[in-house]
Amino acid sequence: MAAIEVKGISKAFGDLRAVDGVSFEVYPGEIFGLLGPNGAGKTTSIRMILDIFKPDSGSIRVLGGEMNEAKKDKIGYLPEERGLYQDIPLDRCLTYLASLKGLEPEKSHTRLNAYLERFDLASSRKKKVKELSKGMQQKAQLIATLIHEPDLIIIDEPFAALDPINTQMVRDILMEQRANGKAVVMCTHQMHQVEELCDRLVLINKGQVVLYGDIHETRRKFAKPEIKVLSAGNFPDQVPGVSEIEKENHGIILHLATGVSPHEVLRKLVNSGVALEQFEIVMPTLDEIFIEVVKGGEG
Amino acid sequence: MKKFWRVFLYEYRRHVLRKRFIFALLGMPLMILFLAAFGFISVFIQYKNTPIGYIDQAGVIVNPGVSYSEDPFFKPVELIPFFDESTARQAMDAGMVQGVYILHPEYLDNGQVDLIAPRSVSPNAQSDFSAFLRLNLLEGKSGEIKSRLLSGPEVEILSIDGSRQASSQRILSIILPIAVGLLFLIVINMTGGYLLQAVVEEKENRTMEIIVTSVSPNQLMIGKTLADLCVGLTQLAAWLGFVAIGLVVAGVFSPWVAMQEIELGSLLLIIALVLPAFIMIAGLMAATGAMVTETRESQQMVTMFTLPLFVPMWLIYPIMINPNSPLAVGLSLFPLTSPMTLPLRAAFTTIPAWQIAAGLVIIYACAASALLLAGRAFRMGMLRYGKRLTWREVFQRG
Repeated sequence: MAAIEVKGISKAFGDLRAVDGVSFEVYPGEIFGLLGPNGAGKTTSIRMILDIFKPDSGSIRVLGGEMNEAKKDKIGYLPEERGLYQDIPLDRCLTYLASLKGLEPEKSHTRLNAYLERFDLASSRKKKVKELSKGMQQKAQLIATLIHEPDLIIIDEPFAALDPINTQMVRDILMEQRANGKAVVMCTHQMHQVEELCDRLVLINKGQVVLYGDIHETRRKFAKPEIKVLSAGNFPDQVPGVSEIEKENHGIILHLATGVSPHEVLRKLVNSGVALEQFEIVMPTLDEIFIEVVKGGEG
Repeated sequence: MKKFWRVFLYEYRRHVLRKRFIFALLGMPLMILFLAAFGFISVFIQYKNTPIGYIDQAGVIVNPGVSYSEDPFFKPVELIPFFDESTARQAMDAGMVQGVYILHPEYLDNGQVDLIAPRSVSPNAQSDFSAFLRLNLLEGKSGEIKSRLLSGPEVEILSIDGSRQASSQRILSIILPIAVGLLFLIVINMTGGYLLQAVVEEKENRTMEIIVTSVSPNQLMIGKTLADLCVGLTQLAAWLGFVAIGLVVAGVFSPWVAMQEIELGSLLLIIALVLPAFIMIAGLMAATGAMVTETRESQQMVTMFTLPLFVPMWLIYPIMINPNSPLAVGLSLFPLTSPMTLPLRAAFTTIPAWQIAAGLVIIYACAASALLLAGRAFRMGMLRYGKRLTWREVFQRG
């Protein structure tokens, strides 16, 4: 059963069509990338999934049915607009937010202690939220998102304002959630994080889905006929089946002729006695795919 | 536990434990106590217990031993008779008396009394001598006549149809409902302010999006509104408690206070008006909170509907003089002024039933409309940051 099933949803604000026939599914036990340039319609889509906005058309099923009040307790949401009550102590703020997710005080207390320790915030628990640094507030916000152990987690830019150590910790937590069978929807512009964490993605541009599917499949689909090689000795000026040889700082890029497979080139290089240290099919990064798809859409 | 109760508990504790709430709660009674203490001290400073002398050339002091003071706080000033002015002056120069009253032989004809004193005589000495003189003038009259002459007339004011009456002696029965009504309005205003602040703070803190994905907007607003109502009621209960304690204490010492009664009809009218007034103001405040982006903006907007609440207080004189004038009737029907005007008029006239009914119907209808308006503004404005929602947008969009 999909954690989220979005079918052909559309939403307009006046003349602006913010979301136009978007469809995708998110499954338990996966990290799903919801990507798109600024103003593409990601936040509007999330708000429709969370029942903050009603779609003009299309249907949404969350955790096996229509969204209702009880399901809100099974969802953890870290919105783009970060927010915590600034004038109260951190622990009171998080306890209150946990209580609104239906968490009983005792459980809330136990889990809060554990999370505060893990996020290195235990010594700041009695400080007012406004006295915390941006990074600390970001961690506190993540605690508010996860403390009630939701089945569906929707997080917008989870790594914003975090240093590398905390970024790694959050990555670990997200992978833990996936391993525990939770569905995680992640919005971010940090494409390397998507590459490393996400299983599948949807790319929205101008309110429409322009890319949807498995990350590796997508990268393979966008891969160009190029091979990166690193040779211990001299590399020949010409290789059969290669239309162009391009030398770079850290290797050589071979542009394959039409219809030639990487295996054929590898065989020929080995047969000709080239001492290969590295032979790698060049896969495009998600950044490149993102730019190509979005720019292509604009063209 | 229903989530609105969680919102309620959080919201109530947050307000009640704030320093400024505690200051407001205790500030007013403390200020009244301070003023009372200040008044008492100023009387005490002026109080002088040095005896006062008198020379009765008119022969009206027939009972020098009459008890002339019932003041529970201050001992009466001793009154010393003198038979000639030179002896009295000697006593005054020696500091035995603070002054000497001389009742002229023609006193009964022209009321002439001279006072010889090196400096002004203390008010308590003057008051005690006046009481002493009056009692002596009435010596020999029956107790009833004496009492009537000393207390003056008690005027009962009756309305034309006889259904409304007020007593000049029971002035508190007129003042109290007005004071309670005013107190209610202050509390409504403050409570609405808390609600406004609670909504604006959600936007300022950017917590709205998290909150509405945890509780429904309805539960959120019910929780907040109930909490702020209870904050207001806590404040009101505390203030009324202080007033009640003050009246009970004052009643022990003052027979005038003890004889006062509270006009039940006016109180019932106030209660009937307070509920819709609270809902209406709460709705308007919540709508304003949802429309603006920060507290500062909201302060300017709310004066639009908080100021009219107190207009009847500014116009209290024309309303008292002519409680059935078109101005008074108009203010009784306008929902923002009726909560104060109707009880005010009720203290001075018999308000036609249709006017009370119309005033109540209008204010209840406006309260319901304010709630709908708040709901609409909240839905439209809750996630709008940085740009204010205009009234036109609220009314235009479906």
